[in-house]
Amino acid sequence: MPNSVAIVGIGQTYHTGRRNDVSQPEMVAEAVRAALADAQMSIKDIEAVFFGNMETFEGIYLPDHGMSAEVGAFGKPGFKVNTGGTTGASVVAEGFYMISAGLYDLALVIGFEKQDCGDTTAAITAAAVPTWAKGAATGAIGEFAKQALAYLETSGAKEEHAAMVRLKADRNACRNPYAHLRLGLKSIDEVLQSPYLVWPLRLLDFCPQSCGACALILASEQRAKKITKKPVWIADLEVVHQEPFRAGIFGDPTGKETYTQHVACERLYKRNGITNPRKDIDMAEIYEPSNWEELNLYEHLHFCDKNEGWKLIEKGVTEIEGEFPVNPSGGVTATNPIGATPVIRVAEAALQIRGDAGEHQITKDINTAMATALGGPNWTVLFLLKRSM
Amino acid sequence: MVKESPKKKAEGPEYIRIKFNAPRPYNWSTGKYLGKVYAEAKENKKLVGNRCPQCKEIWLPPTPVCPKCKVDMGWDWVELPQTGAVYQYTYLVYPLWDPHYGEKWANPYPSAIILLDNGVYYRHWLEEKDKEKLKAGTRVQAVWKEDYEERGQGVQDILYFRTLEE
Repeated sequence: MPNSVAIVGIGQTYHTGRRNDVSQPEMVAEAVRAALADAQMSIKDIEAVFFGNMETFEGIYLPDHGMSAEVGAFGKPGFKVNTGGTTGASVVAEGFYMISAGLYDLALVIGFEKQDCGDTTAAITAAAVPTWAKGAATGAIGEFAKQALAYLETSGAKEEHAAMVRLKADRNACRNPYAHLRLGLKSIDEVLQSPYLVWPLRLLDFCPQSCGACALILASEQRAKKITKKPVWIADLEVVHQEPFRAGIFGDPTGKETYTQHVACERLYKRNGITNPRKDIDMAEIYEPSNWEELNLYEHLHFCDKNEGWKLIEKGVTEIEGEFPVNPSGGVTATNPIGATPVIRVAEAALQIRGDAGEHQITKDINTAMATALGGPNWTVLFLLKRSM
Repeated sequence: MVKESPKKKAEGPEYIRIKFNAPRPYNWSTGKYLGKVYAEAKENKKLVGNRCPQCKEIWLPPTPVCPKCKVDMGWDWVELPQTGAVYQYTYLVYPLWDPHYGEKWANPYPSAIILLDNGVYYRHWLEEKDKEKLKAGTRVQAVWKEDYEERGQGVQDILYFRTLEE
């Protein structure tokens, strides 16, 4: 049996579109300091540092070589991870693996992105194989447009349902002082009037380009209990990989049906005796690059039956006050510092378990929470967090 | 007496903006398998994929190892039909920067997933730009660059798929 691992420190920067007051390393240091303060410890206590972002998004290759001082990694073990959209989740997974294997007792894991420095969509486009996929230059937007269209055409959902998801995200983000887009959206029409990026995906349907960082301190069971009265346990995680250019062969060429999410969920739920996720889990922070993808994910993560995702938003099930809150933080359509985004999912789920989410705290008791990430070559990473083991 | 220099409006941190026009010296290799696709496109205006000896699945882009069976694919090539039906399409509205080719553009041709007549999915462009006329299920056929000298860009040697009048 692997050793138990807990989250004992949580820190994030505020997230916004432009941060020209700080360099990338200075911005990352803000999150590190916040996590250390939360865990009431010094960087000297940290044994290993794992971090990651989408390198080259800011035009910098190996951004880690310029920030060992700022993140406290100088002279310590650890390395940078990059798995595309799931980078932040892979960083948390890396810390988990190391501590559960007994190599370290205390590790710092960090995700960050400073998107005002570069052109993210261009960088994602550069991930396409140039000898094969020239002209497919739509970054992530085109891919999620295909998924949105497939969902629109097959599920029975209307554009209004996606708009309702966007309104929920905005209402929640307005209660989260760290969130990037806090627009105060009032009506479905407001969302439906926003311009198309790639049809049928609209500007307001898609995640923004944010600057921000998020850091967690992970500890072994023995150490965690000495550090905090409110450790949040990483009860389990699952990682599954797939290659997107051949996604059609594994299922659906539109990318709506993602093989990895099905496999990851099946494994995670089975190992943990979860038969009805909405009853067995109290809330979720999911990685939804678009409002359409949130509806799609409700189904993939088995929060409801096939083609019923839009009914959850219609009935208010996933609101903060609802039966099964999803993304009380406002989620990814409100805040997307890419390398940090999945770390924020874990951080926000952990804050809900601790009862420390502030204005966007869910009122019902949260004992079990799920945090998810997707992206890159269709990696899926799922975390199951618990108040007690 | 030294005059005080005029106060700058913003003291402190600023963005450093860089503009560069130098060419990026990339030389991508197609490799053996994708190289076969390039050669067939240039020489014969043919679209080819390769077939797994075990599950018989046809892979496009071709692969040296079957992702499903994890076995060596060998060198079993299949010519793919150049006709099929539009499975799904989208179109780009917002111009995007393509860093590989140094162009900012909104591809005027709708992007489509085409179900080729042998059941293989293929992503390419549609000639039809009229949004009223776009619909899933439309029968289409590949249109190649006719000039031999212009070919040599792999699957880009196909300009787009043209609607078949039936």
